[in-house]
Amino acid sequence: MRFAHWTLVVGVIFTVTGGLKAQAPAGSGSIAGTVVDPVGSPAANIVVQARGADGTPRRATSEKTGKFAITGLPPGAYDVSVNVPGLRGYERKDIRVTAGASATLDIRLEEGTQLSTLGEDPRGIAADRLRHAPPSGPAPRTGDGKPDFTGVWWQPVVVDQGAPEWLPAAQQVAAQRQANNRKDSPQVFCLPPAVLRRGPLIEFVQSSSVIVEISDDDSPGFHKIYLNRTSHPKQPDWLWYGDSVGHWEGDTLVVDRVNFIEDVWLDQDAHPHSDKLHVVERYTRPDLGHLETVVTVEDPGVLAKPWTFKRVAELAPKEELREFICNENNSDLPHLVGK
Amino acid sequence: MMKAPLLVTPILVLTCLAGAAPVDAHHAFSAEFDATKTVTLKGTVSKVAWTNPHAHIHMDVPNQAGAITSWDLELGSPNALMRRGWSRETLKPGDVVTADGYLAKDGTNLANARSITLSDGRTVFAGSSNESAKD
Repeated sequence: MRFAHWTLVVGVIFTVTGGLKAQAPAGSGSIAGTVVDPVGSPAANIVVQARGADGTPRRATSEKTGKFAITGLPPGAYDVSVNVPGLRGYERKDIRVTAGASATLDIRLEEGTQLSTLGEDPRGIAADRLRHAPPSGPAPRTGDGKPDFTGVWWQPVVVDQGAPEWLPAAQQVAAQRQANNRKDSPQVFCLPPAVLRRGPLIEFVQSSSVIVEISDDDSPGFHKIYLNRTSHPKQPDWLWYGDSVGHWEGDTLVVDRVNFIEDVWLDQDAHPHSDKLHVVERYTRPDLGHLETVVTVEDPGVLAKPWTFKRVAELAPKEELREFICNENNSDLPHLVGK
Repeated sequence: MMKAPLLVTPILVLTCLAGAAPVDAHHAFSAEFDATKTVTLKGTVSKVAWTNPHAHIHMDVPNQAGAITSWDLELGSPNALMRRGWSRETLKPGDVVTADGYLAKDGTNLANARSITLSDGRTVFAGSSNESAKD
């Protein structure tokens, strides 16, 4: 899903000169070079990671000049990667390192799929991350003793992506949509975003009978999780956010979602879904500052088997969700181009 | 064009290693802008549209002969800009600015704004103009 994009798939322009320098200590080698941003300026404080046959990640951080050097590498082949939110992920496989030598790898980061303009650019994302300061302490409980998820949360981070097995037809649709710059996504027309998308901020408003989940940058931006009924309507009512019912299993809120309208996309990688889509979200709040969700996506129309992933959100006690009236000035439409 | 170095904090990077957030914009960069076509525009702010899904700065940009061309600069959403300390008052009509960004693919006078520099050389960032243009 989007994490594949967002998560920073990195496509970068690179050069491997294979230049050998006599800088590395005997018995080991290094990988060194320069990281530049999409317009060619030095990119500082970028972590470059090399992973060799033993699976151990070895890292170096670029200097103000963009230069980096990962030293002390046992001879062998390394996969090098760079992940910066807001930019495309970078990966270069099979960089050969020999004893006493340095392989040169110059990395040019490329724009990602997001807007990359002021407020929605790598520095904006970095500024958001600096605001993250989840408080510690026990998770609060409601008057009836249930965990209380009420509050504003930062966009959940995927900590376990799982392994979705897409059916070929679903992959083909996603590939076509991506090749067309996703310019026909519902979100472009100010309709609700993909089923699995959240954020950049989310908010839970909880009562004993219903939970309202609000998502930023989303129109209309909220859906209800009914706790006062246990089943879905017998006659499906196809909805952009589906029909959501929830129940408690101990301290876990289990949310069962079905009946998604055909037009909504499944994820930010532009996969479609079928009328069999069934999403189960298991929410827990292990402490005051964190909200964990294990999501299982079941859809025999697009997935060979159920797909489970996990994401974690940090509490954002100082943030508020401002209104997002998308059609206020959606002037982009006439400018969008596909391929 | 002026090139502001990309600075990413170590905190950010560590977070990335733990798993990236699926950040997303209202539309994809590639659907509207060309990453290979940068532009620098120097002119006067004529209008600030503090709107969703994106804020816009409209500029009057003179050429060497003095003829004025109107440009539309697309920014992030007000929500995102406000988290960085911006407000609808950060830039005002009449402000003389230099904007760097990427041109729209459709050839219109539209660009996104990668950075905006005030006439005194300060780059507007996080609402506090705290980033030197020479960084």
